[in-house]
Amino acid sequence: MIRVVHAPTCFEQLWEFLDAGVTVMAGGTDLLVRRTAAVPEAVVLLEGIPALREIREDDGLLRLGAGATHAALARHPLVRDRLPILATALSALGSPAIRNMGTLGGNIATASPAGDTLPPLLALNARVELASRGGIRSLPLAEFLLGPGRTALAPGEIITAVCLAPPAAGVLQHFEKVGRRNALAIAVVSLAALIDRDADGGVTAARLACGSVAPTVCCAPKAAAALIGHPLDRETLGRAGKILRQEIAPIDDVRASAAYRRQVADNLLLRLAIDAA
Amino acid sequence: MTAIDALSPEDAFVQRADALAKAVGREQFSIDVTPPGCLWAGAKRAGVPHAAITALDMTAARAVPGVVAVLTAADVPGTNRQGIVHKDQPVLVETCVRHCGDAVALVVAETREALTEALDRIRPEFSPLPGVFDPVAALLPDAPLVHPDHVGGNVLVHGLMEKGDAPAALAGCDVVVEGEFSTPLQDHVFLELPNGTARTAAKGGLDMVVSTQAPFRDRFEIGQALGLNPMHIRVRAPYLGGGFGGKDGATVQCLLALAALHAGGRWVKMVWSREETFLAGYKRHAARIRLRLGASRDGTLVALTGLMHFDAGPYAHLSGEIMALGMEHAGGPYRIPHTRIEGFCAYTNNPIGGAFRGFGVVQTSFAMERCLDALALRLGRDPAALRRQNALRPGEPNAIGVATETGTDVVACLDAVMAHPVWANRLEWKKQAPPLTRRGVGIAATLNAMGYGRGLPDAAAVKLELTPSGAFLIYNSVPDMGQGNASAFVQMAARALNQPPEAFTVCQPDTRCCLPAGSSSASRTTYTFGNALLRACRSMREKLQARASLALLVDDPSRLALVTGGVYDPVTGQTLPLARLAAFLSRDDRFCVDQFTMPVVENPPETGKAFKFGFPHRYYSYGACVCAVEVDELTGQTRLDACVTAVACGQVLNRQGVEQQIQGAAAQGAGLALFEDTALTAGHMRAQDLSTYLIPTALDLPDLACIALDDNEPSGPFGLKGMGEIGIHGPSPAVAQALADATGLTVRRLPVTPEAVLDALAAQTSGTSPCN
Amino acid sequence: MQLTFTLNGAPVSVETAPGRRAIDLLREEFGLTAAKEGCGSGECGACSILVDGSLRLSCLLLAAQLAGHSVTTAEGLGTLEAPSPLQTAFAAHGAIQCGFCTPGMTIAATALLAENPDPDRQAVRQGLAGNLCRCTGYVKIVDAVLAAAQSLPKDHA
Repeated sequence: MIRVVHAPTCFEQLWEFLDAGVTVMAGGTDLLVRRTAAVPEAVVLLEGIPALREIREDDGLLRLGAGATHAALARHPLVRDRLPILATALSALGSPAIRNMGTLGGNIATASPAGDTLPPLLALNARVELASRGGIRSLPLAEFLLGPGRTALAPGEIITAVCLAPPAAGVLQHFEKVGRRNALAIAVVSLAALIDRDADGGVTAARLACGSVAPTVCCAPKAAAALIGHPLDRETLGRAGKILRQEIAPIDDVRASAAYRRQVADNLLLRLAIDAA
Repeated sequence: MTAIDALSPEDAFVQRADALAKAVGREQFSIDVTPPGCLWAGAKRAGVPHAAITALDMTAARAVPGVVAVLTAADVPGTNRQGIVHKDQPVLVETCVRHCGDAVALVVAETREALTEALDRIRPEFSPLPGVFDPVAALLPDAPLVHPDHVGGNVLVHGLMEKGDAPAALAGCDVVVEGEFSTPLQDHVFLELPNGTARTAAKGGLDMVVSTQAPFRDRFEIGQALGLNPMHIRVRAPYLGGGFGGKDGATVQCLLALAALHAGGRWVKMVWSREETFLAGYKRHAARIRLRLGASRDGTLVALTGLMHFDAGPYAHLSGEIMALGMEHAGGPYRIPHTRIEGFCAYTNNPIGGAFRGFGVVQTSFAMERCLDALALRLGRDPAALRRQNALRPGEPNAIGVATETGTDVVACLDAVMAHPVWANRLEWKKQAPPLTRRGVGIAATLNAMGYGRGLPDAAAVKLELTPSGAFLIYNSVPDMGQGNASAFVQMAARALNQPPEAFTVCQPDTRCCLPAGSSSASRTTYTFGNALLRACRSMREKLQARASLALLVDDPSRLALVTGGVYDPVTGQTLPLARLAAFLSRDDRFCVDQFTMPVVENPPETGKAFKFGFPHRYYSYGACVCAVEVDELTGQTRLDACVTAVACGQVLNRQGVEQQIQGAAAQGAGLALFEDTALTAGHMRAQDLSTYLIPTALDLPDLACIALDDNEPSGPFGLKGMGEIGIHGPSPAVAQALADATGLTVRRLPVTPEAVLDALAAQTSGTSPCN
Repeated sequence: MQLTFTLNGAPVSVETAPGRRAIDLLREEFGLTAAKEGCGSGECGACSILVDGSLRLSCLLLAAQLAGHSVTTAEGLGTLEAPSPLQTAFAAHGAIQCGFCTPGMTIAATALLAENPDPDRQAVRQGLAGNLCRCTGYVKIVDAVLAAAQSLPKDHA
């Protein structure tokens, strides 16, 4: 049971606690759900540091504060208008209350294979900014997520922000989450896609990221490459889907079988044909 | 019916008496009762399905500061056996664990933290025993025995119900369809967790507040388990935050009482966690049902044989009665001259099977309706028309030979849903399926008996008081778990005594001052308790007339009328206020006590002899259900687009109340059909919290429609019949038929998974015939 | 810690362990039992409260997190003598059966209507998606929220 709660209001205070090894708590929606044995005796809250919640554009790059809640992000014009791929994922996450409490940084740090924000962030080529008393560094998200529940977060470090370049206006942004029900559901398969096309509808660039089908969220570069130069029609997407099957490594669990996940990940590409129309 | 017995249109949408207090969050449930300074009790659960306990060291637990007691079977006085009919469940296991939820030890502590810490430190050592996890395999000669000294081995109940000569008749049928069907465990997921608070009282008694559907019976279950006098145990049952059958029989009761015996007179509270409730609470029985249905070429049903296996888990609870009710309903609301239904209820090391709304009927309805669908397919017949053709009419014998009572029948229910646009416009609706989706519509017919059946008197006793202030107090004996029976009783009494509802308060069940009236279950409480209440109201009316006649010097009491707050003499125009009248009466005289027992089948058929309790039943409600589904071709997910249920349940006392029951039951039926799965494997549930065991959210259900038909049950209070359960049966078979319509999938097991649907879609493409 | 915050419109201050769950604080320290624990893991919504008008789950909040904020429980929305329009609508439309989910539902609906005073049925369902109900099938709850929305002046929820 948690006996001590620290509530720093600035980074200087925060580093002291981190260096002492105190567990960080953002929204609490993952931390406080753990079995009793796994709940720490002391936590340090991040919610008192306003800088962590900032959402802004800097020189054409979007900077999403790690302490921003999913709800705050979802309704922010920068996310709503420039990153619908992320906005869609945010609105599918959890429930209204969970979205008010959970944070972007928390979703990344928890590093669940099924984390809803992760496929869009990976498709967007997001970088994770990390800070500690010693300074700031950043890593591509793909390098930050190491395995289920494992990240490259070093001791004394927190995620401070996610930085990414918003896609150009004409780029197709697509996200679909498949769960076993329509709310409060862990993703069983999800697909995030960014597709750029020329004036004739031929794909010129594509990024595909899949959730819940590998130890971490993963890209499907070969499937994406198979789209290039073709229209987004059933035939193209069908071919790409067959390739995508080889790029993922789903498992059986209580929510779905590996076979189902593989089949659906393949199938989900076909939704792009509808989106493209 | 006299004027005083007739319902008026204003009754149709009367707001429930409990609604406002619940709306503003002021209603106190049992879980909200936390006496200052109370102790906390918790059980250590085995976590293994079948094992001998080789070591149970409590030293570390006892050493936790704040721990008051750590108890094992050795500390249980009495028989250490709880149960409703069969007393076969240890309160605390002795040497052998029989399912993962078995209680191995009980801790009582000053704080919840100390309790959690102590429970954590209890590390039993087990020597695993071979387990039996399948009700069919449990009957094999070499199956591990769950109760080695039980005569009959793993067979808890074996029964047969037959009419005519089904095997012979089947052989002569033009067409026979058959199938094997499988339904899973279902968890009640009532939102208020099992809980209670207790302390010892004078004379070795107990004072308890429990979230329970059966406070009167609880006393006996506790008394027998712990060697206490049941008449010295007081149980109070506040409004329950849901029950659905899951609190009909001991959950916390015996463990809590045991804790109280070691609490030195202090209050003790026990609240199960959600995970513990999955682990230890009983569930709807999983069942495997094999049916063979034979018919003539023209679709007339001729014969039905069935073999069913119900999985009781390690303890009986009400398993025999549940299987019996399922068997009794196996023929559905149809005319079938020859039936032979055989049932085996087996002990296993799976989670405990027990009461859950629909009580065995959910399982067999699914199987029978699916057989009818198979028959319709074979004969090239419309599934609705086939049902209508064979539907039981009043006066005809049902599948086990009991004549149907008069009243609105299942044909009317079918007609009502068939007339609804969801069914009537289904062809057009299906054509409008958006890209990458398929649509289908299905129909089912249902029935559900009311009450306990023969063997156990379905009885209620009522106490009604004219209070000193001239108002009325109804001593409710049957817990209100949300079905609104307390409000219904107010509505009935208000009509019967010609008073406004505000003149009535309800004392929720308290075994000290209310009278026994059976459990809140079996779709029985508004009928049985309602009838007893109306009798008490009749007595009260006569008493008020008679006593008032003395005060008003009227020599013909029958000319006096009850008006709001008084007794009125139309001849003289005088009114005696009830408060004044109450002041004239001695305390005893202000009470009316009466009782009622539900009539039973008078000449029961000579079958089903294995079932002493619960067979057969006399009164049924009837229903029909249409479901429309939309399937996503890419994911196999099924969206329930519409669900319409028609019900014939006697007169409608409160339309809103009927709709509430039907909508809630249909939601639970939809959950069983599409969402809910404990993922049981070798006695372990892999889904055992709310993140893995999924009930529908507000985004997973459509607007569930309800059509309550005009009907009348002459023996019912204000002509009504119990209908709390019938709404749960329709969705599973109707969704299954709809999915066949949409995808060609033949659903034989529940829940239907997206995997099965995807496989069906693939099979359609490749030309094969999938079933799940 | 000495915890100071605003509770249902009134300032309060109480000595409590900072890591104590908000739901336990509300129910046991203040006797406000409307917020219910149905799961303890954020999956049922029965513990819903408002913090600075925003929908939260009190089973996943620590007491320390309430410091300086304004907390509203279902008891703060209305009383038996003066129920809120939403509470009145719940009672009138049959949206309440066992009533255990009701406080959480009314809190979630209040948050919804504050953000979206004129929702359609689907928007209401989305707003209540984190509140489980096992009794009603949600239909009459949606009816009640819509009725309440219609009865409220559009510039105020």
